[in-house]
Amino acid sequence: MAFAWKASGLTYNKYLSVAASVVRRSLKDTQRLAAEKRGVSELRFAKWNNGKQGDNKNVADANAAAAAEASS
Amino acid sequence: MMLSRAARPAALRVSGAAATRSVAQNGATFATLREIEDRLKSIRNIEKITNTMKIVASTKLTRAQRAMTESRKYGQTSNQLFDNAETKRLEGEDKKTLIVVASSDKGLCGGIHSGMSKRVRKMLADNSNQDIVVLGEKCKAQLGRSNPKNIVLSFAGVGKDVPTFADAQAIADQISLLPGDYSDVQIIYNKFINAQSYEATPVEAFSEEAITGSPNFATFEFDDEVLANLREYSLANSLFWALAEGHACEQSARRNAMDNASKNAGDMIGRYQILFNRTRQAVITGELVEIITGAAASEE
Repeated sequence: MAFAWKASGLTYNKYLSVAASVVRRSLKDTQRLAAEKRGVSELRFAKWNNGKQGDNKNVADANAAAAAEASS
Repeated sequence: MMLSRAARPAALRVSGAAATRSVAQNGATFATLREIEDRLKSIRNIEKITNTMKIVASTKLTRAQRAMTESRKYGQTSNQLFDNAETKRLEGEDKKTLIVVASSDKGLCGGIHSGMSKRVRKMLADNSNQDIVVLGEKCKAQLGRSNPKNIVLSFAGVGKDVPTFADAQAIADQISLLPGDYSDVQIIYNKFINAQSYEATPVEAFSEEAITGSPNFATFEFDDEVLANLREYSLANSLFWALAEGHACEQSARRNAMDNASKNAGDMIGRYQILFNRTRQAVITGELVEIITGAAASEE
């Protein structure tokens, strides 16, 4: 069983979050506003190398970049 | 911060009281009266601030607790599988363990962050060949000072609001992208025991080898490809659980800390009010004595 999303470089979590955001977007307006707050993520992260902190990067961007890299 | 602030006025009060007595004769008493008044005013302001923070934390706490009970279900349901399969961590010495510390960005909530840092330091003292991923600025600052070499990733922006599953998923994805080969992942979070107490507790997330190696693995039917998905998903579930429970602990700890701070401020206000009244009374008495002696002297 091969997954189309796996072939395009998405992880299972990414696949889930895309599916969830589609469901949220198709809700009625009243429920949608409340539901879309649950999909917001404002995380930043930094890689550490040898005891030094690297640059702060946006997690969502980095995950998208990793997906693009895995698909090519 | 609260400690240093509480200590300073107490020391000043002693010297202030001594100064009042010594300068009472030369008319500089008004300055100390004004000083006490200023200090009273600033303590009142601090009390107002801590009280407001307490109220804010209380309202956030109810929401956080609801999120915690809901997220607990996520974690427990996903762990049920591993319970049934009797999955255990691999006892390989050559592979590293990854420790994920679920703290948050904000302070002013007592010792919950340092409690977690202490726990991690203890684990590192037992076995230094472990890597750390830190969620939240507070533990990053603490562990960054003591064990900077072990940190591989740090996340900021945690704990502004009730954590979302999207947060947990993004973190789980970044963790699975890490180059190192880890035998298992331990998530350290503050377990909510009741409103007064919490405890740094580890929860395990297993590697694929550990899952396939579990004794009752044959009870479940798996396609090999799905296993990686399960691992990623259960990591996200556990992270979500840890973040939500940690968030609830933080709010409740902040509420308690602010409650204590307001109480202390109330005590100090009481003491300063008494000191202020006494000093003012002393000044008035001194003036009366001067007037009466003056009047008695001029009568003769």
